[in-house]
Amino acid sequence: MKNFISLHGRTIALASVLVLLAGLLGYVALRAGPMAPVAVTVISVDSQAIKPALFGIGSVEARFTHKIGPTFAGRIRRVEVQSGDHVAKGQLLGEMDPVDLDDKIGAQEATLRRAEATLLAVEAQVQEVGARKAFAEIQTKRYEQLLVASSVSEEGAEAKRQELQIAQASLAAARANLDASRQELIRVRADRDGLVRQRANLRLISPVDGIVTRRDADPGTTVVAGQAVVEVVEPSSIWVSVRFDQQRAQGLSAKLPAQIVLRSRAGELLSGQVLRIEPHADAVTEEILAKVAFTQIPQVLPPIGELAEVTVALAAQKSMPVVPNASVQRVDGRLGVWVVEDGSLRFAPIKTGATDLDGRVQILQGLSGGEQIVVFSFKALDANSRIKVVDRIVGKSS
Amino acid sequence: MISLAGRDILHAWGKFVLTGIGLGLLIGVTLTMAGVYRGMVDDANVLLDNSGADLWVVQKDTQGPYAESSSLYDDTYRSILGISGVARVANVTYLTMQVSQIGDGKARDVRAMVVGIPPDGAGHPGQPGYLVEGRRLTRGHFEAVADIASGFALGDRIRIRRNEYTVVGLTRRMVSSGGDPMVFIPLKDAQEAQFLKDNDAIRAQRARTAQSPALNRPGVPGLLDAVIASQSTNTSVNAVLVQIEPGTDPEAVAEPIRRWKHLSVYTRMQMQSILIEKLIATAAKQIAMFLVILAIVSAAIVAFIIYTLTMGKIREIAVLKLIGTTNRTIAGMILQQAVALGLIGFVVGKVAATFWAPVFPKYVLLEPGDAVRGFVVVIVICVLASVLAIRAALKVDPAEAIGG
Amino acid sequence: MDKNRSDPSARGIRIEGLTKRYGHGDTAVDALKGVNMVVAPGEVVGLVGPSGSGKSTLLKCLGAIIEPTSGRMVLGQDVIYDNGWKISDLRALRRDKIGFVFQAPYLIPFLDVTDNVALLPMLAGVPNAEARQRAMALLTALDVQHRAKAMPSQLSGGEQQRVAIARGLVNRPPVILADEPTAPLDSERALAVIRILNQMAKQFDTAIIVVTHDEKIIPTFKRIYHIRDGVTHEEAGEGRGTN
Repeated sequence: MKNFISLHGRTIALASVLVLLAGLLGYVALRAGPMAPVAVTVISVDSQAIKPALFGIGSVEARFTHKIGPTFAGRIRRVEVQSGDHVAKGQLLGEMDPVDLDDKIGAQEATLRRAEATLLAVEAQVQEVGARKAFAEIQTKRYEQLLVASSVSEEGAEAKRQELQIAQASLAAARANLDASRQELIRVRADRDGLVRQRANLRLISPVDGIVTRRDADPGTTVVAGQAVVEVVEPSSIWVSVRFDQQRAQGLSAKLPAQIVLRSRAGELLSGQVLRIEPHADAVTEEILAKVAFTQIPQVLPPIGELAEVTVALAAQKSMPVVPNASVQRVDGRLGVWVVEDGSLRFAPIKTGATDLDGRVQILQGLSGGEQIVVFSFKALDANSRIKVVDRIVGKSS
Repeated sequence: MISLAGRDILHAWGKFVLTGIGLGLLIGVTLTMAGVYRGMVDDANVLLDNSGADLWVVQKDTQGPYAESSSLYDDTYRSILGISGVARVANVTYLTMQVSQIGDGKARDVRAMVVGIPPDGAGHPGQPGYLVEGRRLTRGHFEAVADIASGFALGDRIRIRRNEYTVVGLTRRMVSSGGDPMVFIPLKDAQEAQFLKDNDAIRAQRARTAQSPALNRPGVPGLLDAVIASQSTNTSVNAVLVQIEPGTDPEAVAEPIRRWKHLSVYTRMQMQSILIEKLIATAAKQIAMFLVILAIVSAAIVAFIIYTLTMGKIREIAVLKLIGTTNRTIAGMILQQAVALGLIGFVVGKVAATFWAPVFPKYVLLEPGDAVRGFVVVIVICVLASVLAIRAALKVDPAEAIGG
Repeated sequence: MDKNRSDPSARGIRIEGLTKRYGHGDTAVDALKGVNMVVAPGEVVGLVGPSGSGKSTLLKCLGAIIEPTSGRMVLGQDVIYDNGWKISDLRALRRDKIGFVFQAPYLIPFLDVTDNVALLPMLAGVPNAEARQRAMALLTALDVQHRAKAMPSQLSGGEQQRVAIARGLVNRPPVILADEPTAPLDSERALAVIRILNQMAKQFDTAIIVVTHDEKIIPTFKRIYHIRDGVTHEEAGEGRGTN
């Protein structure tokens, strides 16, 4: 075939191949090599009032957690409630095994009854002794008169007086005995009451209207004094305990509005409010702790301990030049942005102020607004970089 | 005088151009291999550049954080900040792992180097220098800035260990020394990710702790909870990156840290030697060795092609000699053709290498210096090969032309 | 070359007692055993002999392609061989003093017809334009000027042979050696070639030796050398010419 192509045609074909190659080489050298201009995107600096916000994570907690357990070691006899049960104030939640306590109470009851009986007996004795004493008094009075009338002997009268004295002493003794029996009765009754109260203490009673959040032990388990068997919280008292990075917590204060996103309900924004900033910060994790309360308690109570993301809106700043944080770079130890002037680059050192969560940074110094600055670049820039302004860098070239 | 070489090329231009393209592809492969080697070294260098650090403070007697593992308490930075000459410090964690993208039809795994940095510190050590899309981290949790080499796009949801992150920014050429793309996440999350592997592992750990009688003592309520809580936090980082005041000698700042803080400190140059001479040395030598062999093979093939091309014209050369063409003219013809072939080959190779280099999964750096060296080598090889061919051509007996 | 032309006595060829022995000792073969030949300027002489008679060897010796064993060759006034080469640059000798026309044309395939012819003067340092002009003149004389821009592979056998003749003549050498120039041609074209050779010999004062065993053209020579077993015998030809 090639023999029939004229010399002229062949020259053209070869030349076109060579021109194509030369063109490609030129393209490669200028567009893909180090001489290629750096693709950048630019933005005009304008003034905006940014609304900084803080972002922190925390967990759902209850303000008051009632950990209900026995006051002394023992075995659990029964637990009446399950986690998630609603309980009323005063409701019986469970009971400890009383072991021999009931027997002890029975014994005390018997003792009490015996004391009561003893009391009755002593009272009867007092009456009997009283009666004897009254009879002795009468006899004594009569013998005194008879003595005056000398109808009885002196010895007879003396004997009657002695009988009266004995009766008087017996009465005093019987009365003392009665007093002791009464005291004994009080003691025995108090003993019994104490045991009954101890018995009542083995019953685990809810102190509030609330929800059982934990049931840590089951019947038969031996627990020590102070160990929680059941945990009850008041639904109305849940809040989020949030941790904010100290470095960025400037402006955080109570009463600021907050948005809460529960981890299990991503996308659902719950409103809340900063209730207080804890006076103690976490020194190890360098975080500030705060409590954020729900404006309205969610219908379905979030599980205690669930992770929550909290965004606290800070007060809006006054309008000043802002730039995207992607444009801020450090060159030779100075923070600044690349300003595009007549197609060439100049590094403008800046001082930055507040930032918001969308990555906008206030410029306190260095830019006055209206400048064209580089936001994204395909490569690191320097003052001699040739640039080509494009709309997007990703997707244009790789 | 007309150009015999030019006329011959013109006569069989298709064959010539095809030979040149074939040769070019071979040269392109060689240039690419050089680019692979350069890319490897460059990966190590950009890792250092991108960290923006002047000094790397790591666990004593380790060569971390890239070449060895290193662990420091995350409050170490406070005492370093107090040393004169230190301008800025930043805690940083590095963890190479699988990062999975989640979402319908997008689920896939990417091997990445997860870097934990304190959020929103533009210009701080450890921060990516420049972005190609999106913004830097602003939230202290659950945001990520990924390298475009990972294939992630803005808004993608990715899972690192137990947490999900939203990609808010994209970088370019932020890679580990092994070429894995970097994914930047907030430091606190990264610390957790480094320690809390997955829910199953946590549960298993809890169960183990609960089984230990020493840690789960009857009669001491709350001890187990406290032990588990202390096991579930991680206050370690892999390195502290330090930027020094301009005009300060890095070694002068490093020395007191080494001496008084009992930590290892590396300057930029020391770190570079660790990375290039130790970490990637074997792999780089492997590639370099292959490059040498490839270059030799390419040179041999170029020589054979030129020799064969010349031998194919031996009869014409005999006739030329018979009719009185001088040796110089014949040698010139062969030399010109060889050099022309080399030129076409080089151009094709350079263009091809440039176009296919971005397709490679790892970075291929085509340095202009390599191109120039490659050009010189190609031309020298062509000249040497044509010398062989010329020697053969000049030995041809003109009598061969008339068939004896 | 012009000076050669201005001095006709310096043209023509004379061969005396030329021998050529291939090999050594017992296996030696004497291809030429004392050849004597004289060809005057403007003369076309036939050299006829059977295969193996030594005519190719003689031609190669004449063309300074192989070296004879002994004897003497004089080209014009220059002794080029006298029991040894007397000229150092044989290639320049071939280029400037001897024209070749072969049985096969051996054109350079990558040059067009004009440049195939013009290459020789160009090699001798003649400017391109002048060399092409000279080539064109010869092509016109040989009636192939209409194929001047064609490549050799596009030509017919006769055309190729004519171009080859043009190439042999273009440097106006004092001697042209034609080896079976008419072998691939039919008789009409063969005669045409001989006619051209005769015409060229006259026009340029060239001594032409035509090696052939082509019965069609043998009668056209005025003088014929027969070669047999390495020895030449001169005899008068029919000299009918080609008309």
